[in-house]
Amino acid sequence: MTDTANLVTRLPNDIGGLPAGKIEQTDHVLEPWEKRCHALADVLDFHKIINTEEKRCGVEALGAEMVGKLSYYERWIVAFSNILFRKGILTPTEIALKMQEIEKRWDGHGGT
Amino acid sequence: MSGSHDHDHAHDHHTHPHAEVGATGRPGYYDMLETAVRELLIEKKYFSAGEIRRQIEVLDSRTPALGAKVVAKAWTDPDFKARLLANGRAACEELGISFYDDTQLIVLENTDAVHNLIVCTLCSCYPRPVLGLPPDWYKAKPYRARAVTEPRAVLAEFGTIIPDAVEVRVHDSTAMVRYLVLPMRPKGTDGFTEEQLAALVTRDAMIGVIPANEPEGARA
Repeated sequence: MTDTANLVTRLPNDIGGLPAGKIEQTDHVLEPWEKRCHALADVLDFHKIINTEEKRCGVEALGAEMVGKLSYYERWIVAFSNILFRKGILTPTEIALKMQEIEKRWDGHGGT
Repeated sequence: MSGSHDHDHAHDHHTHPHAEVGATGRPGYYDMLETAVRELLIEKKYFSAGEIRRQIEVLDSRTPALGAKVVAKAWTDPDFKARLLANGRAACEELGISFYDDTQLIVLENTDAVHNLIVCTLCSCYPRPVLGLPPDWYKAKPYRARAVTEPRAVLAEFGTIIPDAVEVRVHDSTAMVRYLVLPMRPKGTDGFTEEQLAALVTRDAMIGVIPANEPEGARA
């Protein structure tokens, strides 16, 4: 194999069998937004807007750097946004404007 | 968490700062992104806010106690166990455990000859309807990468030593097919009620990384 062949045969999610360190038996209680994100994923699946495999594939499409640096639910919500753009359901502009509105709302009301 | 040599992917450990959250309660970037996506989809009538709230309640209702109830029932009712091994989902539904997704469930029986272990190498597929959400280590690289090629070493890190004569089978979950391990019933539990038995069954035993707990006072 050439030295780039492993990039073709191994996508970022495909890590079964790779060398890795000791298992750290970590866990954490989900933050409120993480739990909402999980519920959002389920509801998107129920409505056949984004299914589990599309989600997994969407995370993989973030590329190795984002897959490596973002946390689990950060990867999910960014993948959902990208998939929704691609499906023409949302646009980047709509998201940007909505996030501005959310920030203003928070500043105006002390965050409720 | 050491993270000394296992790459700089602090995947699920939340080492990256959420400074805004702690200090002022101001939502962070991803928190706002989630809110934006959800609110826009609700405005566009793809679903309602109530559906999200109800699903959060469903998620909160799913804990390993449900899986433990299934295991204890299988230990005490051979007919149920046969149905459970034939069709995991249908047998769980018999006990009132609804599957809120389209996944199938395959239940894997540990015996004196075979020890089963579940993993999802590609992501984090897990029998959520019966166990709730997976622990972070199940979703992180070391477990996903190593479980399929060196399961005995992985098990040893959980303190589980499987004799060489016992076959270890690793099951890689998919989006549609999930697994649940039916651990061996511990010795010294004759005459135990289902409730007493269920108390011995942990999440990790149903993932397959440890056996079910021995009853208190039992000799190891």
